[in-house]
Formats: sequence, structure tokens, C-alpha cells
Amino acid sequence: MMNKQFDTCEIVHIPEKEPHDLHNQPTEFVFASAIDPQNANHIVRRLNQIAPLENLRHVKRIQKKVLERGQVQLSVILCAASEGDNQLDSVPPALQELISSFQLSPFITKVCKYAATSKEEWQEQCKIWPTSYHPRTYNIDGITGFSDENSECIFKFMQSAMELATSDGVVVNAAVIVDPSAKQIISRARDQVFAWSTNKENSSIDSSCNRKSEFSSSDVISNNFATHESFQVNESNNQLKQPYTGVACLYPWQWAKQQLHSQSSYYCHPLRHAAMVAVESSAARDRYIFPSEENNGEKPLELDHENPSSTSSPAKRQKTVCTTVENDDDQLKARNQSSNQLLERPYLCTGYDIYLVWEPCTMCAMALVHQRIRRIFYAFPNRNAGALGSVHRLQGEKSLNHHYAVFRVLLPEEALHKCHTEVPQT
Amino acid sequence: MNDSCSETVRLMKLAIDQANLAMDALEVPVGCVIVHDGKVISSGRNRTTETRNATRHAEMEAVDVLLEQWQKNGLSMSEVAEKFSNCTLYVTCEPCIMCASALSILGIKEVFYGCSNDKFGGCGSILSLHQNSTDSPNNEVPLGKGFKCTGGIMASEAVLLLRTFYEQGNPNAPKPHRPVAVASDKNELELVHQ
Ligand SMILES: [Zn+2]
Ligand SMILES: [Zn+2]
Repeated sequence: MMNKQFDTCEIVHIPEKEPHDLHNQPTEFVFASAIDPQNANHIVRRLNQIAPLENLRHVKRIQKKVLERGQVQLSVILCAASEGDNQLDSVPPALQELISSFQLSPFITKVCKYAATSKEEWQEQCKIWPTSYHPRTYNIDGITGFSDENSECIFKFMQSAMELATSDGVVVNAAVIVDPSAKQIISRARDQVFAWSTNKENSSIDSSCNRKSEFSSSDVISNNFATHESFQVNESNNQLKQPYTGVACLYPWQWAKQQLHSQSSYYCHPLRHAAMVAVESSAARDRYIFPSEENNGEKPLELDHENPSSTSSPAKRQKTVCTTVENDDDQLKARNQSSNQLLERPYLCTGYDIYLVWEPCTMCAMALVHQRIRRIFYAFPNRNAGALGSVHRLQGEKSLNHHYAVFRVLLPEEALHKCHTEVPQT
Repeated sequence: MNDSCSETVRLMKLAIDQANLAMDALEVPVGCVIVHDGKVISSGRNRTTETRNATRHAEMEAVDVLLEQWQKNGLSMSEVAEKFSNCTLYVTCEPCIMCASALSILGIKEVFYGCSNDKFGGCGSILSLHQNSTDSPNNEVPLGKGFKCTGGIMASEAVLLLRTFYEQGNPNAPKPHRPVAVASDKNELELVHQ
């Protein structure tokens, strides 16, 4: 029953590049010519020498068409052509030679400018001129889809984030960092822009590992979602009905308008967005569980430093940390210290996922690059300041040294308000 | 003109002092100072290794000092905002995308930096968040605040620090699969702010 319900919700991968309009992909002009199939090998070999297609590597040199009576017609790309240039004047002499020696009759045609990023794009491209399609060479779990079991987990963690976001009157953003290999919450945080207790140490660890009730309460929420069936999350739902002005990533510049005077126990901190606080907590947890590197010679483990986009499988890491949730922190710490031989400390948040109710702003999104988060799941887009597709698209910035995969969990706005009102007392 | 120039260099030297402190603590050597009314009111240096929190860049450290100080002194949020709008940051390396966003959120007035940050830079190298100035049409909450930004102040000193750091190897960094020795300035800067 649960699985059935999850089927109605969707998890959408937010790609590195803005997808092109399928039927209107950018094109470029090239000179092409029909050729005699008998000469094809010779001509293509020669063309690859004298006129390689430098910027169009995804484009196939030869187009093969089967004509009405089973006749095969081959056309070959000779070279790139600039727009409006239908003269062959600019063509290099070696190519001119080839054209005349095989008596080719060049014509101008279009090819797709960019390599296809999806099978659908590729199929459309081939209607114009054949291209090759290489599905991504690296895979971060989920880009190619989630199993029922995994999506169930993803929804539970997202609901946990939503519960947190709505847990205290004003709706804020919330972040939950998870070790997916152990299905374990590493840290969780709400925006602390207007309610930052100076007692930092206090806030950091308590949230770490020992949330025994996490799953049971999440289950209840899941079932509540189920009673409000068939959320039609479409484009119109991108506009939430309420402004949610308490969400820091949505209104990063709002803090300055507050007239609030700081009181003894509360400070305002304009940069303490949920994701920043969650990263801080995960670091505090790391320092707590693995107190000192000098003492035990432990080195943080980063599995794929040079090629972070292949994003280190968490399975390679020992699952010793926090798999036994019922322990308190001290027991956990003791256990981990005693099993140092088995235990490898992950480097920062390598292999971890983060769940955010709202798409993070640029500051938060970059913080998650720095901390090496593996996957980001968010529920609602952030048109004001979102950095994962809305305003910027950090997952597509090639120069960055780390790339996470980004997913949107499609949920209706009502899900925010169901979190608390309908959870039965247990 | 010359005076303001030498003043800029004087303040950048203080930022470099901070970077040196980071180096001594085996942290990536990036440092900064924040100046208000011609006076240095805060300083910071990279602290990512010690905290195991890769967001603890020099700028974040220096900003946290101020926020705590000002609120201890009873300033309201609008007064804090007013303060930041009169602050200038001197930092040895171009603020990364995270820090540049943070500086925009805080509404800082101006930034001077040393070397550029080809891999993460948020003030022109990768994104240009300092130009991010859009007032909302209804004049309520701004959708972005820009700040004035000037690079290349004592850039070679800043680069030299980073080169020294990476040539001697960062004992706290996880073992990279390739040697740490740096072939060019460009590669070296790619390692900044890790
Ligand atoms: Zn944010
Ligand atoms: Zn930074």
C-alpha cells in the first residue's frame, strides 16, 4: 500500500544543463554532399584528415537514407559552414580537391549543435542529421531512476525535513543530512537566522545520530499523505500560494528589514540558513565521533579525490558508524573508537545526501559543494535565489571540483501543512 | 590617489598576515580583514581543516566575529545591516561563490582581493555575484545586492603563499591520487579553498 502511494509522487532529476526544447534544439550549418557508397570509406578517411569536425564530435559524418525502392543513399558532411555562406570559397584547398575528384555536389544542411543529454533529445536530433548519444559515463544513484524501496526512503527523509520546517510556528527551510548507505540521519537543522542560540555546542550534537523515533513518526506522516491522493504536481504548482517569508534561502536579503533587537539568548545571524547549520552540525558530529587524527593516525577517507563526479559509492565505506541507533552518543563514540580498525572516516560529507524543503540559495548550494555532499533532494523550487536550476545551476558549473546530483521531490504545497495537523498522537 | 593606494596595500598586508597564520596552522593560507571607518574591526583566516567544516573560510570567520560583537553591543538588525553597508573586506584570494553570496546577503560595501580563484570564484571568475544588483519592482525585499570589487591587490604574494602550501603538501588533506606538486599558477589556484 505504501509503495503504491509513493508511485504517485515523483522524484525528478534536475540535470546539469537546462534541457533544450526537444523540437527546437540549437543547430549549425554544414556543407554536405551525397556520395557513392563505394567511395564512402575512402572519402570519410580523407575527410577526417583534412576537415575533422572539431566542435561537432557528436555528429555522425555520414547519413544513411533508405529510399523508396530499397536504394541506399549516403550523404557525408564535408565541413562546417557559417550562416548565410553558401559559397565554397572558404573551403580549404585539400577539400576542394576532394570535391572535384569525386565530383561531389555540396549542399548546405543543418546539424544539432550540442550533444544530446537524453535519449529523447537524441531521437529528435537524428531526424535532422544522425548524432551519437553517450549516456553519462558516471552515475550517481538515482539519475537513472529509483527503486521503490529507495523512493520510499527518500520520501521519509523529505517528510522528516518538512516536519522540521513546520515544527515551530513560522515555516522555515529545513535540512536533513543522511548517510544513505546506513539510512542514517547525520544531522538536521532549521534556519537559524532569527533564533540562533549562542550555545553552539549544544545545538550541534543532539541532533546527530540518535533519532530513534524518526522513522516511526515519518511513517505516520506518509500514511497521511496517502489519504490525500493523487497530487497533481504540475507547473502551476510551482507557484506556492503562501510567500513563506520565513524561509531564509527564499529571501536571503530579508534579514536587514527586521527591527528585532537581540536579546540575551537569541542572536540573529543572516547566514545561518538551514543547510549551513546542518553542515556545521555534521562537522561537529565528525569531530565528536573521530576526536583527533593525531591520536589514532586515522586519515579521512576520500574515495575519489581526483574524479569526484564519479561520486564515491558509499558501499565501499564501512557501515560501522551509527548503524546501531539505540546507543547514546557516548556509547556510540566508545564503540567507534574500539572498532577503529574497521572504521574509516568519510572525508567531510562524501557519500552523504541532503534533504531540503526549498531549493537552496547560492551560498547554501556552494557550501554543499565544499562539503562534498553527494545528492541534494528538495521539494520546492526557489525562484528568487535558487542555485540548482532556478537562478543559477551550480551542478552544471564544470570548473567546480565536486559535483552533486540534484533531485526534486514533487510534493504539493499542502504537504507542508499536513505534517503536524494530522499526525495522530501515539 | 597614492594615499588610498598605499592604504589598500597596507590593509591587504594585514590580510596576508592572517593567511600566514592559517599556513602556520596547516590550513589553506587565505586570510582577510574587515575595515570600517578606516579601522580594522575584524579578521579571519581559513579554518576548514580544524573544524572539518569546509565552509569555514576566512570571510565567514571574520563575519561571525562581527555579528557576535555587534549584537552583544545591542545593535538591532537594521543597525547591523547599516554597519555592513559601510564595511570593506580585504581578502587574499577572490571570494568563492559561497562567500561572495554571503557578502551580498550581508550587503557589504566593497571588496578588495589578491589573486583570482579560477575554480570557485564568485566575483568574476565563475559567477559574478558582486554584480548581482536587482531591486525588486515593488521596492520591498531586494532580490540581490551587489558590491564594488577590485582584484589583483598583492596577487603575487597571495599566490606565493598558496604555492608554498601546496608544494610542501597539505598534511591534513586526504591523499590525492596525483602528486600535489603544482605545475602552474592556474592549477595551484584550483586547489584554493578546499
Ligand atoms: Zn541559503
Ligand atoms: Zn569562500
